[in-house]
Amino acid sequence: MGRTVRTETIVLWLCVAVVAVAGFAPIAVMTLESFWRNGYFSLNHYRELISATRFWPLLGNSIRLALATTAVCGLIGVPAGILFAKSDLPLRSGFMWLLTVPFVLPPYFIALGWSRVVAHLGPTSSDWLFGFTGCVLVLSSVFLPITMLLTFASSSNVDRRLEEAARIVSGWPGVVRRVTLPLSAPGIAFSLVLVFLLAMGELSVPSFLRYPVLPVLSFTQFTASYNFGAATAAAFPLAVIAFVGVLAESTFLRDRDYTFRSTGQTLFIPLQRWKNPLVALITALCFALVILPLGSLFVDAFSLAAMHEAIQRAGASVVRSVMYSAMAATILMALGFLLGHFMRGGRQRVLSAFTLALFAIPGTVLSIGLVRLWNTPGTWFIYATPALLILGFTAQYCAVTTRLSLAGLMLIPTSLDEAGQLSGAMWARRLFRISIPLSTRTLVCAWLAAYILCLRDVPIALMTAPPGGDPLSARILTLMANGAPPMIASLCLIMAIASLIPLVILTRVIPSRRITK
Amino acid sequence: MSYIDIDRVSKSFGERVAINELSLHVEKSERVVLFGPSGCGKTTLLRLLAGLEVPEQGSIRIDGRVVASAGKNLVPPERRDLGMVFQDLALWPHMTVQQNLMFGLNARRVQKREAEARVREMLQRVGLEHRIDAKPHQLSGGEQQRVALARALVSRPSILLMDEPLSSLDDERKSMIASDLLGLHSQFGFTLIYVTHDQAETDLLASRVCRMCDVQPAA
Repeated sequence: MGRTVRTETIVLWLCVAVVAVAGFAPIAVMTLESFWRNGYFSLNHYRELISATRFWPLLGNSIRLALATTAVCGLIGVPAGILFAKSDLPLRSGFMWLLTVPFVLPPYFIALGWSRVVAHLGPTSSDWLFGFTGCVLVLSSVFLPITMLLTFASSSNVDRRLEEAARIVSGWPGVVRRVTLPLSAPGIAFSLVLVFLLAMGELSVPSFLRYPVLPVLSFTQFTASYNFGAATAAAFPLAVIAFVGVLAESTFLRDRDYTFRSTGQTLFIPLQRWKNPLVALITALCFALVILPLGSLFVDAFSLAAMHEAIQRAGASVVRSVMYSAMAATILMALGFLLGHFMRGGRQRVLSAFTLALFAIPGTVLSIGLVRLWNTPGTWFIYATPALLILGFTAQYCAVTTRLSLAGLMLIPTSLDEAGQLSGAMWARRLFRISIPLSTRTLVCAWLAAYILCLRDVPIALMTAPPGGDPLSARILTLMANGAPPMIASLCLIMAIASLIPLVILTRVIPSRRITK
Repeated sequence: MSYIDIDRVSKSFGERVAINELSLHVEKSERVVLFGPSGCGKTTLLRLLAGLEVPEQGSIRIDGRVVASAGKNLVPPERRDLGMVFQDLALWPHMTVQQNLMFGLNARRVQKREAEARVREMLQRVGLEHRIDAKPHQLSGGEQQRVALARALVSRPSILLMDEPLSSLDDERKSMIASDLLGLHSQFGFTLIYVTHDQAETDLLASRVCRMCDVQPAA
């Protein structure tokens, strides 16, 4: 018995050590660095930052952008999620996956697509795009799937009996408003917090659309002047907001996290006369948010000359992207599964909150910390290799694979593990013989999700890739400055194919929910 | 014509036939117990009556009004004037006892003052007025059963459907709640359709027993 506990504890601490090295240490080092100047403790970086005329307007812009994006995602994503989960809307599955496409691509793809649209319309029509409105439109398209999919998942998991009990005495609007939505609130709140934090930390879209925000300041302090202290001080408010957001989310969830006996079925809202108008509305939404910008982006991609030039200039980046993402996804899948295993039954809440904070923290902030920590002569073997990039991916995305694994593990009755324990099987044996075989689908989903996230990542790829070893998402961004549009379009298409293949596999792996009439 | 007429109703789930051309007639204020082994279609029959499932064939009539007929629910669940106690009780975990009971009254637009009075009266009737602000997880198993019963009856439905609600209780608690239920029945006069596979519950509650077997009751 003692040996069982020891193995489990050792593995847990190993996992904690990986998260600490990848995420905690860089944040701690960069925080310390920001309070240090010329070998002494100093608040000068912060004083300079706060007194800088640029700081407050940039912080204001970041918050305004994040709030507007969250509001749009909430207003569209929540009803869309409920509609896809609960109604008899035709083609709902197709609509849902189509609206998910912008999220699996680097965020600046949609911005690039819209810039092509306005370029076709004429020079004067681009005013609205380059600024706040354009940023909100692009970021809402990119982050809408977060609220939509999490609302879909949360409302689908609401115990069908609870809705039926309400249905006996109330019509569907009342059931949705008083039962489905409150019981899905933890998932919805979580999605809104995530959207807010991700929009706060977004770098590539605001810099492409020339809307000045705080992450851009932090990035330029780092790349232009290589001033770690100033870059960290500029990044500090973003890190604080990320931690506060995660804290608020976990406080909100403390008493509201309901566990349901999911039947795998859900009831449906018969749309009747609303069916056709809603199909038209969702089609228009898909067209405006996905088909129009991406169609405009990819329309130039199909020329042989452009494709040839794209492969010549960035062929190696394509291979590197797929390789790094696959390696990171494998590490993330294993780490997430083990962490999820330890977090079952509400254990390790601090670790859970910390991994979530690492996900919410902007990639620029994490990258600055990673570079500061590992850029020493003794650790060159990490700094100058893809290991740094993979560490960054591991820190940023382990919350995703952990939560996915946890959700999958919760569906396995604990009695199965207990039966194994009573038969005398040690922890590792139970893990390999019971938990893992019963979680193959979860593991595949976690791997694919991690692969997509690593592939689409921009800030970590941009700031931590070794010299001459940048992945495709970063390569396209640098080529955008002077590359011909058809070549850029071809590269975007290659990237989209590399991202969409796992998405298509995901749609096959995740079972469609049965709707009971 | 009876108060409830179920006429040659069939329902399948994929390949599995749950109910095959079943007919059942129930008089007003009767206490009918549907008794039979698991999988014989008892719960499906309740769900068809409630409007939570649609019959593929046949018709269901309540108080002279056709509520479902051949592939269509003509009257939605909330307009059938019935209450239901589910096997797992289905108490809304995010609501207090009072809110659980108020939900149906609010949906039926009962005035706030009257609704509160009715909730208090019903909770008093089931001996739970002191638990009005508790959430379901703060209640014992027996208390949860009584809240579910109170919730189903607070809007004074004409029909009460109960789907093996006492299956998880010990014998002593079962007979206590059964006696509560009989008291409420004599007070409110609702028609009771009660599903069980337990002979003791059947003996306690039934004024008529329908044995369901081979997907066809011998009514």
